[in-house]
Amino acid sequence: MIERMLLALLFLIGFWGIVGIRNIIKKIFGLTIINNAVVILFILEGSRIGNQVPILEEGIENIVDPVPQALMLTAIVIGVCITALALALAFRLYRHSGTFDIDQIHRQVHDVT
Amino acid sequence: MLPEDTVFALVVLPLLGAAIALSSKAFFTGKRKRNLEYLGAFVGLVLPWVVMIQLLPLVLTGQAIEGIIGGWHESVGISFRFDGLAWLVNLLGFTIAGAAWLYSLGPGPHGPHFTAVFLIQTSALAATAMTADLFNLFVCLEVMGIASYILIASSEKQGAFLASFSYLMVSATAMVFFLLGIYGIYRTTGALTYTGIINGLSGLPDHGGVVTYISLSLIVGAVAIRVAVMPLYGWLPDSHALAPHAVSSVLSGVLIKTPLFALSRVLLLVPAGMYAGQLMGYAGAITALVAVIIALSQSDAKRLLAYHTVSQIGYVVAAWGAALYVGTHTLQGSILMAGAFLHALYHAMFKGLLFLSIGTTTDCASQRNVYQLRGAARLLKQAGERIPITTITFVVGALAISAIPPFNGFASKTTLSYGLKDSWQYSMLYAAGIGTMASFIKLSRIYWSKPEQQNRFPVPVPNANKIAQTFLAILCLGTGIFAGPMYRFVVTLFAFGAPNGPAPVLYSTQTLMNTLILITGGTAVFLLASTRIGHNILKIIRERPRDFQGLFVAFSLGVTGLSGWLLFWG
Amino acid sequence: MRSKITGLFLFQVFLCLVTITLVLIPLFWTDIPWPTIARDHMENFGMAASGARNMVSAIYLGYRVFDTLGETIVLLVAVSGTIGIIAHGGDVLAKGFGDPSRNESLYQEKTTLVKKQRTALLEVVTGKLGPVVLVFGFYVMLFGHLSPGGGFQGGVVVASGIVFLALGGRADGSTRLTEAGVLAKLESISFLLLILASLSGVVFGGGFFANTLAQAGMPEVGFIVLLNAIIGLKVGAGIGFMCIAMLGRAE
Repeated sequence: MIERMLLALLFLIGFWGIVGIRNIIKKIFGLTIINNAVVILFILEGSRIGNQVPILEEGIENIVDPVPQALMLTAIVIGVCITALALALAFRLYRHSGTFDIDQIHRQVHDVT
Repeated sequence: MLPEDTVFALVVLPLLGAAIALSSKAFFTGKRKRNLEYLGAFVGLVLPWVVMIQLLPLVLTGQAIEGIIGGWHESVGISFRFDGLAWLVNLLGFTIAGAAWLYSLGPGPHGPHFTAVFLIQTSALAATAMTADLFNLFVCLEVMGIASYILIASSEKQGAFLASFSYLMVSATAMVFFLLGIYGIYRTTGALTYTGIINGLSGLPDHGGVVTYISLSLIVGAVAIRVAVMPLYGWLPDSHALAPHAVSSVLSGVLIKTPLFALSRVLLLVPAGMYAGQLMGYAGAITALVAVIIALSQSDAKRLLAYHTVSQIGYVVAAWGAALYVGTHTLQGSILMAGAFLHALYHAMFKGLLFLSIGTTTDCASQRNVYQLRGAARLLKQAGERIPITTITFVVGALAISAIPPFNGFASKTTLSYGLKDSWQYSMLYAAGIGTMASFIKLSRIYWSKPEQQNRFPVPVPNANKIAQTFLAILCLGTGIFAGPMYRFVVTLFAFGAPNGPAPVLYSTQTLMNTLILITGGTAVFLLASTRIGHNILKIIRERPRDFQGLFVAFSLGVTGLSGWLLFWG
Repeated sequence: MRSKITGLFLFQVFLCLVTITLVLIPLFWTDIPWPTIARDHMENFGMAASGARNMVSAIYLGYRVFDTLGETIVLLVAVSGTIGIIAHGGDVLAKGFGDPSRNESLYQEKTTLVKKQRTALLEVVTGKLGPVVLVFGFYVMLFGHLSPGGGFQGGVVVASGIVFLALGGRADGSTRLTEAGVLAKLESISFLLLILASLSGVVFGGGFFANTLAQAGMPEVGFIVLLNAIIGLKVGAGIGFMCIAMLGRAE
């Protein structure tokens, strides 16, 4: 129960970071946080049906569901790639405009065009 | 070779081409490098046509190639399904991608990296069209997305970086919600393949209830961001306007439609999916009208086209949603679905053509402002274009998008209106048609009259541009003339099992009257918009405040609204 | 300087959080039991079908290897895009590598920064640790079917080994693994290999992504080891390349 509440809170914090903070680096942090919240949720809930690691050595039975773990491996790598690309874009935006504030970047771009 | 392998050639050949292009950069320099890059593009964009032709007889008989990749067990493996729909989406993708890549040889962007990313995007399109697995769909959408963020940013303008960043943030956030949707579906059914999900859900009371509805609306919301239907369109205009021309044409033509047709497979899983389709269809009809009004107000030529993309995708979504609501097994549903696809295909052709022609023109004139650029036809002539190919191809595209016979836009819009007859969506689309006409009269003014200033540095128009534009213009005209056979071809390929009905009549007194009204109405609206008052109103619309968090507000409200809608009806 | 926070802005944020909370609550607090279909299948048949003991690896590189291909491609595109946007002033896609007109100032800025922050301690420790980390990376990569690990994890460790070598290596060129050109070659070759491995089944009639090695009479697990090795190489080279480019040594 408490872990679900914490995960929902984590997700909301990340979402607040994306929507409510103007700094684009912190927005990217927010993106990483919500991604990780979903990853943890998926793996945590998937491990409720068993109690052993899904590596079939002798005497291991009643393993946890291995599918969420494999899926989340993919999701984590994709999340990292997106974060890397977003940071690169943020770097370029900063070099052009000298600020990380999304509203000011918006304003500068619209003044140019 | 098994038939399943032939299908995967459509995904793997572009990937192989991308690998060849990448190796060309790592191992060779100079002419060798270029040749190997072109070989990669040939493998990735031309060879798939051989496969497509080989597959055609099979899908024409209404068969589908189904299976599980690698022959694993169905409970965990990834299943795929290649049917007429997938074939048609591939047709859409490879036609436009080939023309756009050819165009990029002229003004750029050049280089093996661009070719590789471009081919990877094409391959993701093919994979999206035939996947029958929810998580695989997620991966395909992510590949497509990450390639498009990079392609948008590759035009090296500051605005393009901001557009790419906004698109990345909103789309990546939406994809996290998609993942949450997968979580919801997996925890209720224990399956990821579509057949597994149907079996799992039918065993549950009330098809899983609230959790299924919310998961479904998260998935639909995330895909709707990619499709750019109102109110989730905010990222599109900037990114399509600021991307390189070749990329714009692919983004507008192909990239926003493939997810839509992939989504129809997901919506058919759950009985409540039809209500999701209904709501999307309503949103589409509103999109068509609102976006065209905004488009009319734009001063930047490419941004005007980008808003038209939003408007035209509204047409597609309106028909697509209505088709899902009435069911594709009915006669009306099959006409609507075929109309939606035809409009998506034709829109890809004429909008691709328009982006390329306008791109060539604005590059040549070094001016993108619709109110300031005049006499572009002469400027192009000064730049060495003896036969005014670019002007002609622009006119072809403009006539097609404004639904003037015999161009293809007329055929698809008439089919759509026939399917939507006597509903309020029909009147929205009708009004949108008048707006489209008006804004293309406005846009075409850049070609006429005398240039205000001489072009000091006329840039010669590359041959690659002309070839790509001519190719698409011939397609626009050809599919317009052979509209009847095209309609029957698409209906056969969809193979809905709908009762055989008469095809919509294209040329009757009524449709021609409609065209006449459209032309008069469009001219009237254009004249109204040219008055001082009209000008001021348009200026207010053009300079309305737009901010970053608005995208997220729209997304959260949209997803919540959709869940509420499903709960209410389902 | 910061933008002013207006009432409208706060209202928008509030609206977003409330609506999302409404959606999340039923999804997080559902009492539907977790399904056991997939788990039961993997527990009973997974090892026989794939030959791997690690069920996560069996799914990742066996049952759902097509997803992994997509993930590898995302990484490939992200690496080349990030390098294109950062290290070369962004004009790689527009003009191609090795273009003399690109922005040089960023490089020099970065290189001097790296030189300033270097200490003898850093050089000695990273130089000595580098090979060890590389070996550990290859271990993680090749034993992924038996223990936690696999191509991606091993590849990332290999990449950090490459970064260590680049930080600690002297200028005498004792290893070429830290040269951007070599890494780019490695990356593109391993991507080509991955595509060819996926196609190998087609040639031998087993189908796309079929286990060719098992058909040739080798143990089933061979294909997973092969894919682990290729993906590991690709990830190691790709991420290593990205780090080297960020260190300002792309040429």
